[in-house]
Amino acid sequence: MTDLSPQLLLYIGTAAGLFAIGLYGFIVGPQTLRRILALNIIGAGIFMLMVVLAYRGLADGAADPVLQALILTGLVVAVSATAFALALLARLKQARPGQYRPEQEPGP
Amino acid sequence: MSLLLFDATLCLLLLVLALASILSRQLVHGVILYIAFGLMMALAWARLATPDLALAEAAIGAGLTGALCFSALARQQLHLPVVLSWPQRLWPAVFVLLMLGGVLAALLQLPPTASPLVDVAQAELINSGVSHPVTAVLLNFRSWDTLLELVVLLLALLGALQVAPAAKATTSWPLSLSWSRLLAPMVILLAGYLLWAGASQPGGAFQAGALLAAGAVVLRLNHQLNWLRWSNFWIRLLIVSGVSAFVLAALLAMLLTTDNTDVIWLRWPPQLAGGFILLVELFATLAIALTLTLLVVGEPAAAEQAQQNSGGEAHD
Amino acid sequence: MMVLLLVLPLVGALLMLLWPKIAPLLTLLTATICSLAALQLLLQVSEQGSQQILLAGWPSGLAISLEANSLSCLLILLTTVLQLLVALYAFATYRRDKLGTGFWPLSSLLQLGLTSLWLSRDLFNLYVCLELLGLVAVALVSLSGDKAIKPALNYLLLSLFGSLCYLLGVAMLYGAYGVLDISALALQWQTNILSTAALLLMTLGLMLKAALWPLHGWLPAAHGAAPAPVSALLSALVVKGPLFILCLLWLQLASAPQAVAIAPLFTGCGLAALLLGGVSALRTPFAKNMVAYSTVAQLGYAMLALGLLLRFNQPLFAAALWLFVLAHALAKAACFLAIGEITATLGGKRLNTLKGASQTMPLAMFAFAVAGGSLIGLPPSGGFLAKWALLQGLWLQGDQLLWLLAIVLATLLSAAYVFRVVVLAFDRADPVAPDFAPRILPQWLALLPALAVWAMALYSEPLLRLLKQEGL
Repeated sequence: MTDLSPQLLLYIGTAAGLFAIGLYGFIVGPQTLRRILALNIIGAGIFMLMVVLAYRGLADGAADPVLQALILTGLVVAVSATAFALALLARLKQARPGQYRPEQEPGP
Repeated sequence: MSLLLFDATLCLLLLVLALASILSRQLVHGVILYIAFGLMMALAWARLATPDLALAEAAIGAGLTGALCFSALARQQLHLPVVLSWPQRLWPAVFVLLMLGGVLAALLQLPPTASPLVDVAQAELINSGVSHPVTAVLLNFRSWDTLLELVVLLLALLGALQVAPAAKATTSWPLSLSWSRLLAPMVILLAGYLLWAGASQPGGAFQAGALLAAGAVVLRLNHQLNWLRWSNFWIRLLIVSGVSAFVLAALLAMLLTTDNTDVIWLRWPPQLAGGFILLVELFATLAIALTLTLLVVGEPAAAEQAQQNSGGEAHD
Repeated sequence: MMVLLLVLPLVGALLMLLWPKIAPLLTLLTATICSLAALQLLLQVSEQGSQQILLAGWPSGLAISLEANSLSCLLILLTTVLQLLVALYAFATYRRDKLGTGFWPLSSLLQLGLTSLWLSRDLFNLYVCLELLGLVAVALVSLSGDKAIKPALNYLLLSLFGSLCYLLGVAMLYGAYGVLDISALALQWQTNILSTAALLLMTLGLMLKAALWPLHGWLPAAHGAAPAPVSALLSALVVKGPLFILCLLWLQLASAPQAVAIAPLFTGCGLAALLLGGVSALRTPFAKNMVAYSTVAQLGYAMLALGLLLRFNQPLFAAALWLFVLAHALAKAACFLAIGEITATLGGKRLNTLKGASQTMPLAMFAFAVAGGSLIGLPPSGGFLAKWALLQGLWLQGDQLLWLLAIVLATLLSAAYVFRVVVLAFDRADPVAPDFAPRILPQWLALLPALAVWAMALYSEPLLRLLKQEGL
């Protein structure tokens, strides 16, 4: 059914699992910071899939440089977006400091 | 076989850490577990023969994101843990499992062979001006992506500064102050090495920039480097220089192109490619370091600046 | 020429960051030059055929490829012209509306992101463009200050999630075929679970980012909270970016069975968007939210046309799709600028602030009514052209009575929400008094795109021909 070696399968499965865990965290929340962490976990899962894809078929030494460059770009983009999201979150907290207690949104 | 066992342990650990980080009651625990997860991820990537990425993930995924999350945590009040009811957990879980099934079924069909682009990239490597293939892709083959990525980073800073709440002044600890002063020259040296090594080995602009930023953040948290702020014109110039050096280099390269070939955007002249790439990387590193520093610590509070300006002379 | 269109906004934005004082003038300057360049490029391309660049001069596959076909050029022209217009509006009102200095560099970066998106034909480069676009859009929304932070954060999180779904799809496709270039990928395309799953994931992400029903929840709050010039840019242009990529994927990559299988999803969501979006627009008490809900509804037409195009493969639907995009962009820019100007002058966010506006601010009200005419699809506006192409296509397929009925219903709904405003505005018995004397120039600027969308009818022949050929 599949031509992948057990080791590759293991890592690909983990990457998909991380995507699923992150997805669950993103939907359920409930705190915004937790959802941002969940997004980062989704990202980590996807980047891990790309790393495994770069690693597969490794015959002449180096992993796929194109994919590695894509991952580096993706990492920077992800951290930029995270930083911006956290800045927005900090501002949100400051905008209404008094009334703010646990962050409870009615359902996903 | 033992290698497979190692892989299995690593994968299991990754999954458990991620799950725990999502499900932990306290947000603080979630963030700490996430940092541990990032470090494990870096280990996994080193295992998968991608040391460049392992370096970057350790610096960004674990270090930088962790630092950002902690500074966000510090700004908000402690949370009471929120307890969700079963239906609130069940339906998302069902949806996620369905999605996971679909994705896994699709991923099983992936072929085990590498992309044909690997050979093309290897064949063109000698024309790229650098000997490290990842750097060649980043700054020559797909330099447009990298340019846009630097713009995205700059943009995140613009957005963050625009919404930044006023910072609270904090006091620093004498021991950490002297320690950070000791640390700074070493950090600069290491970053310079990483940047230089990037041309032939793992390393490069982003890793070096992240390291520099780490040093600068430590100093800034100890109230040093107060000139390091967006309202300072020279800092702004340096931050913008990452993108503008890239653009200027590309324009210069267009001018230098000899007449018998077509003028193409972002093509470095073959003999000078190495120099161009080093130039672009140097400015990118500085810009990345400053951008990340400002992203983590934000602008210094106005009161703190005034206090530093008056108090700094008395101390010395 | 393509490079000029990409470099100029970038250099402009960098200069604006260094010297914020000259930013407004610089924005006007770059937008003017870019508009002229875009026009020139469109003329060139329509004469000599589409142009391709392999960036940095590497062989195809390794390099990122850009392509300027007539559709891309048309969209670039639309982007630059609207950018110029909105910059003029912002220039005329920024002191009064306390628009932050951040607006100018951000709007230039928005232009960069959109232009590179229209040109790019590389899956990963498109991802970077998408992220750039998403971050700029959120930063622009957050210019409004405290009230906009929550919608902006929500928008950012969903937009990031959408990009990640898209990225997972890209990773899967690269894993399977080892190329990122869309035309190269199309040559090797196979119909299997892997490619279908990748397409579906990317579709999910893009639909979320384009606010296509049922994933539109974030849009009204975000577009409603943003400053008026920003809402105009977001509604007119930003949501079209992901839509463009969606069309690129399904029209160029997907095989015929995949396209036919997905068509009901698009048509169904399109119809639901038209009907439910229209109802929401009719019910909301806030003026800007009404216009934002109308965007959700109008995007339904584009989705409907895409679904029908995939189902029947009839070039008329392609023309209808892009005519809707063009007409909606112009009309919506006019609506947001007009409503923004009226609510700023009369001081209030609710619809009943508009009471008697035809007396106090006749020009802005006229702009809204004219643009509304195109949203409804009154002849001979751009909206009518698009709807006519759609109906003609359906007619040629024959026996599509149900579709006709749905379209008539949607038209009635859009007429209802436009007339709701117009009726309020003509209620001259007790008009809301303006906070200060209405200004003429911003109202004229709101009127310009509204007139342009009616002028589209004059160019209906070349537009139809061009879009039928190159609707991707």
